[in-house]
Amino acid sequence: MSKYLKLSLLGAAIVAASTTLAQPPAREEGPRTPTPRLADGTVDLNGHGIWELPYITDFATRMVGAQKGDQPPMLPWSKALWEYNRSNDVKYDPEGFCLPPGGPRSMGTPYPAEFVQQEDRILIIFEGGGHVWREIHMDGREHPEDVNPTYFGHSVGRWEGDTLVIDTVGYNEKTWIDFNGHVHSDQMHTIERITRPFKEVLHYEATIEDPGAYSAPWTVAWDIEWTDGAELQDYICQENNIWLVELKDDLGHPFFEKMEAP
Amino acid sequence: MKTTLAALATLTAGLLFSAHSLAHHSFAAEFDAEKKLDIAGVVTKVEWTNPHTYFWIEVEGKEGVDVWGFEMGSPNGLMRRGWTKDTLAIGTEVIVRGTQARDGSTRGNAQAVILADTCTRLFAGTSQRDFVEDESAKVEGCTPKQ
Repeated sequence: MSKYLKLSLLGAAIVAASTTLAQPPAREEGPRTPTPRLADGTVDLNGHGIWELPYITDFATRMVGAQKGDQPPMLPWSKALWEYNRSNDVKYDPEGFCLPPGGPRSMGTPYPAEFVQQEDRILIIFEGGGHVWREIHMDGREHPEDVNPTYFGHSVGRWEGDTLVIDTVGYNEKTWIDFNGHVHSDQMHTIERITRPFKEVLHYEATIEDPGAYSAPWTVAWDIEWTDGAELQDYICQENNIWLVELKDDLGHPFFEKMEAP
Repeated sequence: MKTTLAALATLTAGLLFSAHSLAHHSFAAEFDAEKKLDIAGVVTKVEWTNPHTYFWIEVEGKEGVDVWGFEMGSPNGLMRRGWTKDTLAIGTEVIVRGTQARDGSTRGNAQAVILADTCTRLFAGTSQRDFVEDESAKVEGCTPKQ
């Protein structure tokens, strides 16, 4: 068993001792200011402040309806790859290369985020994850029939009452589900549900449907805390990522070879 | 690598380590949590870069001066915790506690940076923040010079 695995299991055990895995912790302390709204009554997803994204290193610990120790319903190949990723200290995690988190991982990655709400689209801007943003079309459009795969895919959103529902397809396969090494295929389809039950908390849920890597859809959920008045900062991950130079492959050779011009 | 033995000190046993909120990449692949460091030296260089801030110290050893380099969290994380560009000025005497690189070089991951003059502990924003459970607690093994 690798050290990382041992540490992860220890960390998971500590978390499990204090919270229930099946549901995100309900916020029992602190202020509960009424949900802020825009002039037309729509939920205001931001205001002057930032969302302190939690660092969800292992999505299995946040599965809705799951018991401690459960894993998402992986297919044999995705399970084998997940086990391989864990066996080598998850050193090939793309986010460690300063590549974007992609998908739901973006909402559980280090450093805060902000929502920018416009009439026809919502942007989520992230301090971390490579200082990236997501664009969610709110103008009623549908997904293109044949989407070119990208890190964040193609997102369309709609309001169901006070719940923002984001439907995304067209992910590439260059990201991991989480730091723990769960993987996905380019068939991944995510449905995210975001509510702001009161000003200080955003409740986040994501259903991952990926017949290429999982035998059934699975859902994760967590709460995100608000910090009033705080602002995003600079974070340019690719500036000096020495990890890229140091990383060796399984045979001890540099992982990143110099690319030759054609 | 001459002064490693002189500089190494065993830290409190039984500390809990866990995967954590400011890890940028796999900590375990780069640093060895078993190789604990407790080193005093003088800051010679600070690089405020992403995704990690680095600083170097000169350490008096039995056979001369060794240069150690340390990794901390990214500038945004450190500055949220009160760091400024002037916090670690060149010439500052510090005590660094952390873990050593797996390759055995004089590189480490700083978990606590302590200003030797005042014994003030600065949050280092590394992948092992749990190393210091109570950041306001008195720093063991440090006597203020002022």
